[in-house]
Amino acid sequence: MKIESCPAFSQEEKEILQEIMNIAFGNATADLAEVIDIYVELNTPSIQLLGIGDLPDYLINRMNLHTENSIVAQNFWGDFKGSGILVLPNRSGRSLIAILDDAELNDFEVKPIAGQEKEVLMEVGNILIGACVGKVCELLNTFVTYTPPQVIHHNSDEYSAFVMSFDPAQTAIIMETVFRFQKIDINGLLLIITNQEAIEWLQKALHNFMEPYE
Amino acid sequence: MIFAQIFDMVNVGIVILDKELKVYKWNRWMEIHSKISAQEIIGVTIFDFFPEMKNPRFLRNVKSVLTFGNFAFFSQKLHKYIFPFKASNSQGTHFKYMRQSCTMGPLRDENNRIQYVYIMVQDVTDVAAYEQKLIEMSIKDGLTGVYNRRFLESRLAEEFERHKRYLRPLSIIMQDIDFFKRINDTYSHPCGDYILKTFASLIVSTIRKVDIFARYGGEEFCCVLPETGLESATKLAEHLRMKVEDEIFRFNETEIKITVSQGVAELKKETVSAEELLRRADDALYEAKETGRNKVVGQCK
Repeated sequence: MKIESCPAFSQEEKEILQEIMNIAFGNATADLAEVIDIYVELNTPSIQLLGIGDLPDYLINRMNLHTENSIVAQNFWGDFKGSGILVLPNRSGRSLIAILDDAELNDFEVKPIAGQEKEVLMEVGNILIGACVGKVCELLNTFVTYTPPQVIHHNSDEYSAFVMSFDPAQTAIIMETVFRFQKIDINGLLLIITNQEAIEWLQKALHNFMEPYE
Repeated sequence: MIFAQIFDMVNVGIVILDKELKVYKWNRWMEIHSKISAQEIIGVTIFDFFPEMKNPRFLRNVKSVLTFGNFAFFSQKLHKYIFPFKASNSQGTHFKYMRQSCTMGPLRDENNRIQYVYIMVQDVTDVAAYEQKLIEMSIKDGLTGVYNRRFLESRLAEEFERHKRYLRPLSIIMQDIDFFKRINDTYSHPCGDYILKTFASLIVSTIRKVDIFARYGGEEFCCVLPETGLESATKLAEHLRMKVEDEIFRFNETEIKITVSQGVAELKKETVSAEELLRRADDALYEAKETGRNKVVGQCK
């Protein structure tokens, strides 16, 4: 179900959310450069409203961005509630290790490379999801708490379990952006999925956001 | 008042830092494990007491928490610890420092502005010790303490893939203790076990750290030699053969001499799998056994 056809979410609300995301992701880009010292380009985000029953197919489709992916997922709680998902090409963890880290991390004798990749993916996922969700929250005057990030391997049982973990009876808003780490030329996909409980709150928050301008 | 009491009673370390990373709160747990009192550390930059924490990863995560209000997680598995506190090592392990699972998050004022960062520190040394023991049990042979067959096969598969990518030499030696059944029958099974253990130690003390030595089954052992061609592997096998032949194994005052037969094989471009390499080394070992024992046969086909 596309957002246009959903009576619960008006075209106006969609436009406000789109505007908020543009501002939020713009702010996130600037702050990310400061925090992780890498310029991350975040493309103009898109918004869709889907029945969660359609979500597994949607995710499978979107996660096929690369032949093999590394996926970082993290849930967030608060008035604004849902999941953040980061999809990166497989082995991008290695390139990230090379540019992000201190000498200690590159000591392959001390830590196996698979462990380091997981570590760096979790950290980058945590920061990227936190930056985008955090900036949306800031504009909507709320804050959230997070679960620890989880690295999910493509085509694994945990991947299937994750995709199937969404309640099909619910509706979700999907905010999606393609991002690119400039220094290492890696493209990825960032999805923020809010669940039904958050939609009602979100509608109110969107109107509150617009109030000063009306 | 009540929360202040809980703050000092919980079995978790809690530290609160201000935006300049000066310590704002330091609970009793932190006092006990760091041996630094709250009085000493409050108002002082955390790096003055823990300079090793001033690394890019920690700084990046603090910045992220202060900027985005997200949480940072430092799992024991990946980070081992943040604060270098002495470990209790109650499970018989020898960790230098307490293994910690830490969470960092934002603390906001009444206007929702982030003013502080908290760090919660949980001692997970026992869990890490159990995990280490389990890992060891799953990859090592219980009797000899060297790697088991499963671990050898998985490492050999990895080395095989590495060879395919970089075309670096790789060889293996299959070893079988000669007339081992006779040792068991003549001197008893405990003596047989002693021979296996001592033989394994002798080999481990001779090979390099990068070599992977495993008990392949019964009295059969296998040694994977990365970055080693057939000629060097055969030389090493011959050296090991002589060393074993010269060694006197003493069990309950009884002196026992043993010998070992060995088959050596090198990975070639046309080798299609790690199993094929094992099979070729095994064929060479069979030839060594068939042609008189206590010898090395190299096979490169």
